[in-house]
This record gives sequence, C-alpha cells and structure tokens, in this order.
Amino acid sequence: MTHFKLSPKQKAARVFSYLFMALCVLVALFPIVWVVLSSFKTNREILSNGLQLPSTFSFSGYKQALEMAPILKFFVNSLIVSFASTALNVFILAMAGYVFAKKKFRFKNLIFGILSLSMVIPSTALMSPVYTVITKLHLYDTKMALILVYTALNMPISLMILRSAFAAIPTELEEAAYIDGAGFFRTFWQVMMPCAKGGLASAAVLAFLGSWNEFTFALLLTSSTSTRTLPLSLSYFTSQFSFNYTAMFAAITIAVLPSIIVFSIFQEQVCSSLTAGSVKG
Amino acid sequence: MKQRNTGWIALFLAPTCIIFLLIFAIPLVMVFATSLFDYRLLPRTFEFIGFSNFIKLFTQDAKFLPVLKNTVVWIAIHCVLHVALGTVLAFILYKKPHGWKFVRVTYMIPNIISQSAIAMIFLNLYNAQYGALNSLLKAIGLEHLQHNWLFDTATAFPAVTMTWFIFAGYTTTLVLAQCLSTDESIIEAAKIDGATSFQIDRLVMFPLVKRMIGTTVIMAATYMLQMFSMIYITTGGGPGVSTANLPLYLYTTVKANNYGYANSIGVVIIIVGFITMTLINRLFGMNKED
Amino acid sequence: MKRMFACLLSLAMLLALIGCGGSSSQPSNSEDSASSKEIVIKYPTFQVGANTAAPVVAKLVEEFNAEYAGKYRIEVEDVPGDANYADKIKVMISSGELPPVVYGGGYKLLDLALQADLVVDLTDAVNADPEWKAMYNETWESTDCRDGRIYASSSEGQLIGYYYNKELFNQAGIKPAETWEEFFDNCDRLLAAGITPLAMDTADGAWCTQLLLGAMIAGSGDEGLEFMNTSYPTNYNIPSVVDAIAKIQKLYQTCTTLDANGGAYENAANNFFSENVAMICNGPWMIGDFSDTSKTTEGFSDKVGVATYPGGFVYDAPIEGMFVTKQSDPALEEAGIAMVKFFTSPKAQQTALETQGMVPAGATVEITQTALDAFPLLADFLEQASVCEKRGNTLTGLMVPGLEDTFSAELPNLASGADTPEQFCQVLTDFATANPVT
Repeated sequence: MTHFKLSPKQKAARVFSYLFMALCVLVALFPIVWVVLSSFKTNREILSNGLQLPSTFSFSGYKQALEMAPILKFFVNSLIVSFASTALNVFILAMAGYVFAKKKFRFKNLIFGILSLSMVIPSTALMSPVYTVITKLHLYDTKMALILVYTALNMPISLMILRSAFAAIPTELEEAAYIDGAGFFRTFWQVMMPCAKGGLASAAVLAFLGSWNEFTFALLLTSSTSTRTLPLSLSYFTSQFSFNYTAMFAAITIAVLPSIIVFSIFQEQVCSSLTAGSVKG
Repeated sequence: MKQRNTGWIALFLAPTCIIFLLIFAIPLVMVFATSLFDYRLLPRTFEFIGFSNFIKLFTQDAKFLPVLKNTVVWIAIHCVLHVALGTVLAFILYKKPHGWKFVRVTYMIPNIISQSAIAMIFLNLYNAQYGALNSLLKAIGLEHLQHNWLFDTATAFPAVTMTWFIFAGYTTTLVLAQCLSTDESIIEAAKIDGATSFQIDRLVMFPLVKRMIGTTVIMAATYMLQMFSMIYITTGGGPGVSTANLPLYLYTTVKANNYGYANSIGVVIIIVGFITMTLINRLFGMNKED
Repeated sequence: MKRMFACLLSLAMLLALIGCGGSSSQPSNSEDSASSKEIVIKYPTFQVGANTAAPVVAKLVEEFNAEYAGKYRIEVEDVPGDANYADKIKVMISSGELPPVVYGGGYKLLDLALQADLVVDLTDAVNADPEWKAMYNETWESTDCRDGRIYASSSEGQLIGYYYNKELFNQAGIKPAETWEEFFDNCDRLLAAGITPLAMDTADGAWCTQLLLGAMIAGSGDEGLEFMNTSYPTNYNIPSVVDAIAKIQKLYQTCTTLDANGGAYENAANNFFSENVAMICNGPWMIGDFSDTSKTTEGFSDKVGVATYPGGFVYDAPIEGMFVTKQSDPALEEAGIAMVKFFTSPKAQQTALETQGMVPAGATVEITQTALDAFPLLADFLEQASVCEKRGNTLTGLMVPGLEDTFSAELPNLASGADTPEQFCQVLTDFATANPVT
C-alpha cells in the first residue's frame, strides 16, 4: 500500500471497502455463531428470546444429542464413504489421466470427448436412472452404492486436474524409467505418481469435500441407519429433536465443527485445490 | 513399445470407463429413452407414448412452468448478483487491506460446510417463534415486519434465495487467486500513469480476470441448476410450488413412482443446462483461444 | 487384442466381486437355509428407537425367536423414520425383491406389492385357523383383502379422537364440544381467555390438520361421511370438503400457533406438551408420551382429557397389516407366514395394548383390565368411541398415493390466504385425477 495523502474520494472508497469486508464476515459468521451459542441455552431460553446469550455454559445438549440420534454412526458412515470414494476416484482417474496425458492410442480424442460429457450433464437429471441402475446392481441402501456414485460424480474434475498434472511432468523422466527397465505399471506408480503429488492432493481434497457434503444421492439411495451419512442425518434431526431445541443446535454444531476445523488447518491447500479445479483442462 | 502397451492402456482406462458407463452413460441413455414412455410403478405401466410427457409438461401441468421459471430466475440471480458480490469482495481484497487473509478464510467457511447444514441453520434463523431474524426485528421495535419467512407465500422465495445468494466465498477465492497472480508491474505502470484505483480495477484488472469470472459464472449456473438439498430441507418447495425448482420436482415425481415423467423433467434439466452453458460461453468468449 | 480382452475380463470379474460384496448385505435370504437348518427372516422396520411401537416389536421378536428357536429366527434391520421405510420398500418392490415380511402401515404398500405380483395369498392359512379367521370382519376386508382373497393381517387399530388440556379448558370455562358450532365457540372463548386453541401443522402430510379436516368433512352430513368412507377419491370440489377447508383456513389464521404454518407433527405435539395450545388431534399411541418427561413436564398427563369429535364421529380403520412376500425358497415363505401369524395374533395385540396402549385391530381381542388400569385415558376414550355412530378412515388413508405431498406443499398457501378454499380443493382434485388408482 502506498501512503500518500488520501483524497476524500479515496477515503470514502476505503471506508466502503472495510464496511463491505465487515459485512461479509458478519454474514459468514453470524449464523454459525448463533447456532453454537444456542446449543448452550436451555429449551426455554431458546423459545423466549432468540438473541439472548446463554445464561450458563452447559454441555448437556451435546450429551443429549449424542444419546438421541446415532450421530457417531452417521459420522463413521460419512468417513468410510468419503475416504473410500476419494481413494477409488483418485486412483482410477490417476490411471486414466496418466494415459490421456502421456500415451498415444487409437480413439484417444473420441474417448476423452465422451468422458468429458460428464462435465456438462447436470447429475440431478440422472437421479431416476441412477436409482434404477443401483437397484438393478442390488446395491440399494449399501455404502458401496454411495462410494460408486461419488467416485463418478467427482470424475470430471479429477480427470481434468490429473490429466494436466501428468501432462506437466517432463516426458524425459518417463523415458528414463523405461530405459532403466521399469515396466508400464512401475513407471506409473514409482515415477509418475510421486511427480504428480500436487495434482493428486488437489483432486483428493475436492473429491473428499464433494463426497463429505453430498446430499441428493445419499437421500435417494439409502434408507437405514447403517448406510446414511452425516448431511442426511441433519434433516432427520428436525423431527427427532423437535422437543429439545438445545440438542438440535448441539447436533448441528457437531456436524459442522469438524469441517470448519479441518478447513482452518488446511485452508491454503483447499483454496489452491479449488483454483486448480476451476482451470479448464 | 506402443504395441505392447495397448493392454495396459486399456486396463488403465477400463475402471474409469466402466464407472462412467454405469453412472453417466447408461443413465443418460435411459433418461432420454424413457422420457418417451409412460413408465410407472402403480399401476405398473411401460408404454411408448412419444412426446406426450413433454406436451403434458408444457401444456397441462400447472406446476411445471412455475417450477421452470423459478429455476431460470435462480440461475440468473446466481450468475449475476452472486458472482458480482464475490467479485467485488475479491477486488477489495487483492489490494491487501488490513485483515484481508482473515476475510478470505472466514467468507469461505459457509461454502465448505455442507449445504444441508447451512439449510438447517437457516431453517432455524427464519423460525417464526425463536428464529434470530424475528427476534432481531422484535428487539429493534419492528415487530410488524415479523414473518413466518419460509412459509409465507410472499416471503418464501426471497428467503430461500438468501440461503445461498450471500455466500460467494467460492467466487471470491477464485477471482482473488487470479488477481494475485497478475504481474504487479502492470498495476504499478498504471499507477504511475496516474490512474485512480477504480480505473485500475475497471480497465486493467477486470479484463485480466474476465475469463476467471466467466468460469465462476459457469460454476454458479451449474450449482444453481443442481440445487436440491437446501430447498428440500428448508421449504420442501412450498408453499405450493413457489420455491420448487426442476431437481426438486424431479425428485418428487420419482417418489410418486412416475419414472417416465420424471425423466422427461431430467431431459429438460439437461437442455436448460446446455442452453445456459452456450450463452455464458458466448458472453465471456470462453471458447476463444487467447 | 487378446491381452486387452484378458485385462477387461479380469476387471469385469473384479467388478462383479464388488457387486456381490454389496448384495450379500442386502436382505436376500434364500441362501442361508442351505448351510444351516435355522431359517433367518431379515426384517427391516421403522418401529425402532424412539418409535412408539418399538418396545412391542422388540418384545415380539424376542418371544418369536424363543418359541421357534432352532427353526426360525428374526433379524431386525433398523430403518428409522416411517417415510424412509416406505421409500426403501418401494425401491425393493420395483426391483422385485422384498424381505419375507412387510408391514404395510399407512403407505399403501400392499397395493404396490400386489401390482408387482409379489404377495403370498394368505387365504388358506387364515381359514385353517379359526382364531385367526375370526378377526376378519368388514373393516378388515377393505384393508387387508383384495377381490375376496386375504393378503395381509392387521395388528393395530386406528381409533382416533382428540386430546385437550383440562386446565386450559377450565380457565376458559368450556367443555369438549358436542357440535361443530360449539367447537368454534369454544375456540373463540379460549382466544378470549388468551389461550391458543389448536395445535396444527402443514409439513409431512399435516397429520394433525388432516385429522381435524376429515372430522369436519364427516360431520357435515351424509355427503361428507360417505366421502370419508371412499378409497382414493378423485373429486375434492364438493361442498362438504370446500366448506371444511374454508374453516381450516380460518383456524390457521386465528386459532393456532405461529409455527403451525411450515411445522410438522412434532412441532404441533411440542406445543401441546408445553401447554401452548389447548387441543391436538391424535390417536391413542400418544398417551404414553403424556407421561414421558423428556417431552413434557412432570404431572402433565393428569391435565390431559380425551374426546371424540363433535357430532359423534371417530376415526376407525385398522392400519394395513403385515404381508408375506413371494420368495424363491418356499420354506422362507412358510417362516414368513408363521411370523405374520405370531405378530398379529390376539395375544400379540394384547401385548401391544398392555405395554404401549395401542388399540388392537381385531374386534375379538379382549381389552384387559390391566391395560385399562395402565392407561385410564384409553379406557375413557374407548368408552366414548363405543357410542360413536359415525366412523371413517383418515383423509391421508384415503388419498391416492403421493397426494399427501401435494396436500402438504399447498397448505401454506391456504394458511397465508394465497389460495381460496376452492383453489386449494382444485389442486387436490387435479392431482388425484392425474394419478388415479385403477
């Protein structure tokens, strides 16, 4: 920033800037802070005045929330589904991305073009047939169904990121590996994969976020406690906790906090992944 | 060497292709094919009826046109106002005022936590009895402005729109990244030429990040075209169909076991998506090479 | 080329393996019998956790497993939320693979399963057992039988009136109404005393509101009463319905809580439990909740009174019962029949009555003194219900499948005045005409 004397116009611009920033922070934080604060209030306090601060800080709402709904079970389901689909997604798309970036073969452009179609199809349009396909595979209401669908939903973006990540690796490295006698798979696994670390991380972060937060297909494809994920459990809380608002706010906090903590720690990585994901391949 | 690798290449492509086939290709063919059928579970029917589903959608179904209108209006709002909001913040932040990093991270939080959590939070914020909004109005003596925000026919649409419109963290992050990656000497040169900060933003920076804004507009359009969870959790599309969009309508039709009709809605979603993308690409010259 | 083919083949096998892994966790049961003598019945149910019937189902499962030890065994699979359960069963119907025993509940699952030809005919099994056969009377036939054949067996009756808060009624100086004029007069007097009269809702099918609405329709005269006894009506634009809807609209605007519009049953119940409102429409399964201190305060149950609807109307229809589905293994179908018989036997219904105050479906089931002592409110209600001459099914029970959602989505428009009663009824008529059950 340069430090000349500011004209009134510039001053006004500066005031506007700070006001705007403050407003954005307020908009982003207020709802979450309100929910967290409410989770410490008693039922009566919540109903009598929505803006009052809690009179005491008691964690009883959290205890009740964990007792009333199988939040931990949903949490574990979400973890399993998200990790499995992220791993599967990144692994198979690294294979595909590598081949598309580094190999020449017949119908390459055609196949890539067809796969790119997945970028432009709104997945919600496919709700009904995906449901039919999953049912026909006898996967309805299994974690496998969600893992498969999430792997596919995150396919377009991972394909773009990973293809450009492999394309950026110098071909000489690959050739050197071949000359050293490494086979096709070993070259891919031991030479190319480590070089594409940045791209892999970006793809993994995006795939994980996508799977962790996905709602529509989870709602469509699961029904029992053993398969439902955390985002779904939130809507299920509404009825479960309608007699105990404290527990409901506690449950929302439990569902939201891990994402916020993880994001605060890895925010640089997440932001750079988002940027990588938005660059057209 | 090429010859020997064919098997490996096929093996490396196969998993991706199989999953693409299962979750995209087969469903896509099914959507288009069964949209021409009367395909229901009760009574069990599977009968070719040509374009009747589409004719019914556009001429007889009193719900469909309002739902289509909602979808298009939301896409427009999101592409214009939401992206503008995020871009303005990015243009403020790239000059690195005090606390810009904090603002960037904080503003991103609502976009990182799941949509269903945001929806649940808003369901409570808007609650007629104990919600923060009504409490606030009461506290500042504007009790007559209190509403049952999400369920009052007059306020439901704007109330739902607010649940996603104000969270433009994604746009800010992307445009900001692009702004920060531009060569500082260009800005310095403009400053020396006596350009005001507003002129620099408009004449120098904006053209440089225009394509990135185009990308965020596409993302905004895709996001809105697929929006489901926040509507489903807050209003369920009501009152009537005043906050329903195409995916929600498709979902309720699937739940009513009317698969053929549901898939004709799916076809409409794909077409709307195609038209929107073409328009945005034209507008931002996204297809032109630099 | 050969190599490529081999690779593809191995991949296909891998995928098939994944597929199998998934389907083994699916309730397909026929293979189990081959390895062991004991037949396992996998039973997905929503009657778990906080559900009122959960203790009853748990007890019956335990008793069944003890009685048939070594022969049959039930394994319960938790599917919380009855709408979830209905969704799951519907998917399974469309894939043609149902668990051996399905509980129909309020979701018309029997008709769906029959359409797909997946239901085992129970006629012979029922006729072979006089005690079982004795339960099938006229109302059962409409619920559990189709074209003279028996397909399902009910365990729970649906006798519904409404509850009121005696303390609040005393404050306003009123008694439960005998006529609808008196009912509206009561509402006015409650309002005058500063008390919100009614708990109402709009979400999730608007259970409480539709009970009130149905009772008004039935109480309006012969046309209305007939309407409340017709399955799958397609025309809602008849005077008795439009009039009742107009009254409901007024009640939404003057006689209920702020959160009624947009609220679900749970919000309505919460308002009644926390004494914000004086009346709520619901069935006897709610009685247990009145003394549940996690939902309400100590001593609340003493304040609750029960009544049948003005004009001598009470809801009375058994809830669609359990049915056995076609399986590749006949022994599993046998096991299913044994389970249905066990779960719907008079003894099982008595268990449900004594533990949770659930009204039995069979007229032959004796209302024991134990149950009456445990649930005095139930005793009171059954006595009042016995003299009611007008009876009918619930509106939700009559609607064509899927109409509940439209009903629910359109109610806020009625409540806020955006719809006139005629417009509202037209929306229902349109949906019902477009999706008839033929």
